[in-house]
Amino acid sequence: MKMLAVRNLRLCTKDCLCLYVCPTGATDTEDSIIDLSKCIGCGMCADACPSKAISMVPEEYPPQQKKAEHVLTPSHTLANNKAKAEGMARLLAREAESGELYRLLKAVERSLRLVNEDLLRESGYMLPQSANTHELLASWVQEPPAPDFPVEAAKKLLELLPCNEPLEKKMHKYRCTVCGYIHEAEELPPDFSCPVCRQPASAFERIE
Amino acid sequence: MKYICSVCRYVYDEEKEGTPFSELPESWVCPLCGAARSAFVPEEGEERPAPAVKPAAAPVHEGDEEMKELSFGALAALCSNLARGCEKQYKAEESALFLKLAEYFTAASPAPARAGLEELDGLFSADLAAGYPALRTAADEEGDRGTARICVWGEKVTAILHTLMQRYKREGDAFLRDTRIWVCSICGFVYVGDRPPALCPVCKVPAWKLEEVEGRASK
Ligand code: SF4
Ligand code: SF4
Ligand SMILES: [Fe+2]
Repeated sequence: MKMLAVRNLRLCTKDCLCLYVCPTGATDTEDSIIDLSKCIGCGMCADACPSKAISMVPEEYPPQQKKAEHVLTPSHTLANNKAKAEGMARLLAREAESGELYRLLKAVERSLRLVNEDLLRESGYMLPQSANTHELLASWVQEPPAPDFPVEAAKKLLELLPCNEPLEKKMHKYRCTVCGYIHEAEELPPDFSCPVCRQPASAFERIE
Repeated sequence: MKYICSVCRYVYDEEKEGTPFSELPESWVCPLCGAARSAFVPEEGEERPAPAVKPAAAPVHEGDEEMKELSFGALAALCSNLARGCEKQYKAEESALFLKLAEYFTAASPAPARAGLEELDGLFSADLAAGYPALRTAADEEGDRGTARICVWGEKVTAILHTLMQRYKREGDAFLRDTRIWVCSICGFVYVGDRPPALCPVCKVPAWKLEEVEGRASK
């Protein structure tokens, strides 16, 4: 697997070994961010760094764990409830008369967002590069959830983030209106004919 | 007899403390994490922490019905979490774009029809009585340990929020006056006190991960 070096700027002291050991000069940049177009993933810098400021990460992240449908339903129910509570806390904080109540409600609002982020991360949105994230972004580009939705941001994200797993194919069911035979495919080819009663594709209707 | 806090595992030892647990006032809270007295369980029967809320008493709110579609508010959290994911991968531009989407969803999220401290606490009660048990059952059936962890952390944090709302109802501003409020930036645990605990009682990160909640900016 191709690896790349990334540097944690908060930990880096900006003055030492990775600059000497990197065979391609990828670590020596004016903004301190490792130049990924030069990095060959040898790992020398990560081994040499005295501050543990460099991590080696795969160029492509592995697919995330699939979530079972029947975990997702209660998870989404809970997520919507958390969001509702967060919105309520935000509103109540704005209206709070005392500074004490204001702080309490702000704490509640922040807490609810954190809990919800964690919940949604576990419900199939762990990785920005996942098929789930990709499909969600694509659906927003195709059909913006509201007229004033910032479509460009979603579009840009689709360009920037490579998808790390094959996108699920949308399968449909087609039923022969004559004999009832059901054919499953992404799309029914125009020259298709029913294997049972030999009717042409035009005799089929999409049922799912 | 010893009693253990189901949120942070603090042990109340009747012998050492001198006061029998049953004689502690209703307003007594866990000295370590602020959990309600009802979050404590006797040391033996420790396996089943008594739910802080009786299921029957939980008021039903419209947010409780099963919903597969995520609301705008939930999508906001989904996006802000992906922003964090990008930040962890040192992808600043992507992170900023996800934050933009999160801000959009937050702003576009409709205001709740009814809002009040009672309603807010009602949502916590509903999650504790129904939301988390349902998710935990499903997670256990699937052997999904990631989701099981969510249940453990989320349930504890929600219990704390519920306790704080109850406390505010009883004591008003008094218990917050001249002290500080902290939120664990990892799990959302909320702590009231001059100094945060050395470790987050819920997720165990060190004190510096707990952030102080600022007061209202004065005009
Ligand atoms: S992994 Fe190798 S090539 Fe890449 S920055 Fe580090 S030392 Fe340079
Ligand atoms: S070796 Fe580590 S601490 Fe030193 S400059 Fe490189 S990344 Fe920074
Ligand atoms: Fe925490």
